[in-house]
Parts: sequence; structure tokens; C-alpha cells
Amino acid sequence: MECAVTAIQRSTESGNNFSHGHGLRFYKMERDQSIHRKMIWTIGGGKGGSGKSFITANMGVCLSKLGVRVVLIDADLGGANLHTFLGISPPALSLSDFIKKRVPHLRDVLIPTAVPNLQLLTGAQDLLNALDAKSVQKRKLVRSIQSLDSDTILVDLGGGNSLSVLDFFLMSDGGILVVTPEPTSIENTYRFLKSAFYRRLKQSVCSSSVKALIDDALDRKNEVGIRNPHDLIRAVRQMDEGDAQRVVEEVKTFRPNLILNQVRSKKDIEIGFSIRSACLKYFGIHLHYLGYVVYDQEVSHSIRRKRPLVLENSGSRAAQCVMEIASKLANSHSMVNQD
Amino acid sequence: MKDIRDQTCYEILEISPTATSKEIQKAYEHAKETFHADSVAVYSLFSEEEVKGIEEAVEEAYRVLMDETLRRDYNQSHLQMPPMAEGQPTETSSEAQGIPEKPPPSFSGLLFNAGERPYRGKTLKQIREGMGIELQTISKEMKINTKTLEWIEEEAFEKLPALVYLKGFLKSYAQSLGLDPSKVIEEYLRFKEESKKK
Repeated sequence: MECAVTAIQRSTESGNNFSHGHGLRFYKMERDQSIHRKMIWTIGGGKGGSGKSFITANMGVCLSKLGVRVVLIDADLGGANLHTFLGISPPALSLSDFIKKRVPHLRDVLIPTAVPNLQLLTGAQDLLNALDAKSVQKRKLVRSIQSLDSDTILVDLGGGNSLSVLDFFLMSDGGILVVTPEPTSIENTYRFLKSAFYRRLKQSVCSSSVKALIDDALDRKNEVGIRNPHDLIRAVRQMDEGDAQRVVEEVKTFRPNLILNQVRSKKDIEIGFSIRSACLKYFGIHLHYLGYVVYDQEVSHSIRRKRPLVLENSGSRAAQCVMEIASKLANSHSMVNQD
Repeated sequence: MKDIRDQTCYEILEISPTATSKEIQKAYEHAKETFHADSVAVYSLFSEEEVKGIEEAVEEAYRVLMDETLRRDYNQSHLQMPPMAEGQPTETSSEAQGIPEKPPPSFSGLLFNAGERPYRGKTLKQIREGMGIELQTISKEMKINTKTLEWIEEEAFEKLPALVYLKGFLKSYAQSLGLDPSKVIEEYLRFKEESKKK
């Protein structure tokens, strides 16, 4: 199986550095010319073990090698270990030092890494607790994150499904779902997507009875007979035309992204397109299939060595796939900043 | 956002109203691969009944769009598009034009071999003809004798070459029509074996 990024790799082999690919040239040019809007990407969905942390860490390295200033935020409640993927010891400083005012600025708890342009922020529990609370603190924290001196923030949300995780997923510029081509992983991703989708709709409407109806709709065996989002819109329309319009608008603008990890065959790659079609038919949303990462023993070897794969073995097939996805993110960033 | 029953044939297959036969065929293959009871991508989102409904809608959309006359009539009645002239693609859909939606197409009694539609010689010929592709074109493009291609379509199994060559020919034939080669080879050979037993 050949990954499309082979061209980039070929140029590396022929003496050109990966960091001098088209994406970088385009990006750097933009960066010199304008003040950039920060991009916040959240990586979530699926279930534990689908490769979210591996992809977050390695994409972060790729982006930073492309000249993008990156902050990785470890918000994986189930197992915060992004630092291990980057080969650094459990950090002494975390978000709680900022929340408890032991340090004055959020930037003070950023952990530098061996890769230039790449920093790490840990403290998942504190982050999500703070986001759970409807407080001044929450707003302050979000503002602090947004004002960090970086171009891109990648947030590893882990496999959680809590409201604060969903909110973080929804408030980002781009939510990325990482899924493996197995039924269990896809099933969990749909569950996550459904929760995020209905939460987004609920946040968009005004009427409390419509909000309650959306809550009911999440339960497939609900008594009001709403089996899918189409039924929901019909029901909302009967209750409140204005809210129905808001819901339709939200559906149109909700565009999560998908990365298929550990693919072993062409048929597996196709599953990504099938997921995209299924989401269009069911939710009416346009899921963006960002790319796939092939199953590769080198991934496991790099994790054991506590070294990012894209640095340890940039020629491996999985590394090439990650590089390709990262260059897409870098390009989408430069396109946003062109607007 | 539309319910499957309200979607146009083009929306069902996720293609533009200006799609070529090859694009329709490809979209159909993809839809067939996606929407079936055992598909990992759909079983946890849709009920069996819903999947069946989508499968039927896909078959109906394919049947209409692959038939030049039916497609023209459909475009006129459902999209209010001018008859398609070559070299003048129209981009608009009914939604973009603000045209009121027509009632959903009827699925009753019109289904064209709904459900399983394995690749046998006759099916391949039907698909090729539907695309308006001449056998000679495939022969020239893929460097396969026209007679061999005819035997493949006519299911003249006794005249076909040895299996190893036949597989290669089927692969090239499938690629020239934009079909999934492995599926074509598998189903064609299965049909060939079953015919031998009869």
C-alpha cells in the first residue's frame, strides 16, 4: 500500500528536507505576511487504544517541523501520557499550578520539548473540571488557552464522552475523530459523534421544550418516536419554526474530521469513505475524511523507545501517512489565515 | 438536510447532476459497499429496515440515472434541468435553484434487480452499454482481443482462456469501466463455477 505522501518522502531522500515541502513554503510565506489566527484542533472519539495520543503527538512534531508553533494539550482523562510519546518524564508543572495561582501565566506551565516550536501542557483533570464549571474561571481558562503564543493547539481528548469533553470538541476550530476499522471502534465513534451532534443542536436552540426534546432524541427508544435527526427536525419544526431553522443551520456548519488508523488493506481505507457516506445520510453532516494511517509495527517500536515515530523512523509507512495528514492541517491553517 | 425519501437520485448516490456514467457507476459501487446489513459503517447507526430502504433507493437511483431516456425525463421532472447538452454542464441542483421539491420517487414495482446483482457476463455487458462504451474501445485500451471480451460477456466459458489469463482480462475489463476488479473477478468466477455445476 502506498501513501500519497511518498512524494514528500522521495524529496527527502533526494536531499530535500521534509520541512521544505510545498505546505511549508506556502505556510511560511503567509506567516511572514500577516498576523495569524490560532487554530485549535481537538482529537477525540472512538475508544481507548485507537491511536489518538500517538497521532496527536506525531502530528504535533510534523507541524512544528513545518514551522508551525504548536502547543499540545493532554486532556485524556483515562490515561494522560502524551509526554511519554514525546520522550519526556512526567512533567512537574501542570495546569493546576496556573489554576491555583502558583504561577501567574498559563505560558509558565508549558513544558518545552526536544522539538523546536513544540510545547506541552498537561493537567487533564484540572482542565476538564474547570470546563465543567460554568464559571468566570472557565472563561478565563479558555481565553488563556486561546491567547497562548502559538499557531496551532492540538488537544488530545482521549476516549471520554463527558459533557466537558464534548464541549471542548465543539468549541474547537476542528474536531478530529480517530477511529480504527473495527466495528467496536466505529460504534463508539458514532456514539461520541451523536452526543456531540445533539449537544451542539441543543446549544443552538432557544426554547426549553425544544432542548428537552433534543435530550429525548438521544435515546433511540424514546417515547416521542424520534429515530434519527430527520425525525427530530420535523418534530422541532412543529414546535418552533425559528429553532428548526437554527437546527438546520447547525447541521450545515458542523463539519468534523475523520482519521482512520491502523488500516491494513484497501478495503479498510474504503471504510473511511463509507463512514463519511453513512454520516451524510444519517446526520446530514459532511464529515471530512482527513486521511488514514496504515498499520505498522514501527509504531509500536517507536512507542517502546519513547520517541515520536516521525522522528525515529520518518521513512516508515505510518510516519508518511501522519506527515501527509499534518501537511493537510498546515495547509488548512494557511487557507484560514488567507481569508 | 433531507430524509432519504426526499432525496433526489443524485443526492442518494452523492453525485452532481452532471455526473458521467463512469461516475454514477463508481458512486453506485461505493453505495452498495456501504449500505448493506453487514456493513461496519452503518449497522450501529441505522436499523435493518432503514438500511433496506437506502439499498432500494440506491438501486432505483442507479436504474434511473444509467438509462439515458429515464435520466433525461427524471431531470426534467425532478430538477427542471434543460436537456443535457454535451460540453454544457449544469451545476445547479433543485435545492440550489430554490425549486420546490417533488414528491419522492416511487420505489414500487420498478426495482431493477434490487438487492444482489453479481457480476456475470450479462451484467458487465449491461453496465458497459449503459456507459456507452464500445467493446472495441476496451479492447484497444486494454490490449485484449475483442473476441475474448465478447466471450466474457456472452459467458462462453468453454472458449475462455486459462484461469490465470482470464483473471487478468477481467481485471482490465473492470478497471476500464471503473468497477472494483477484485469483486468482478470473484463474482464472475463464482458464477462460472456455479454454471459448470448445473
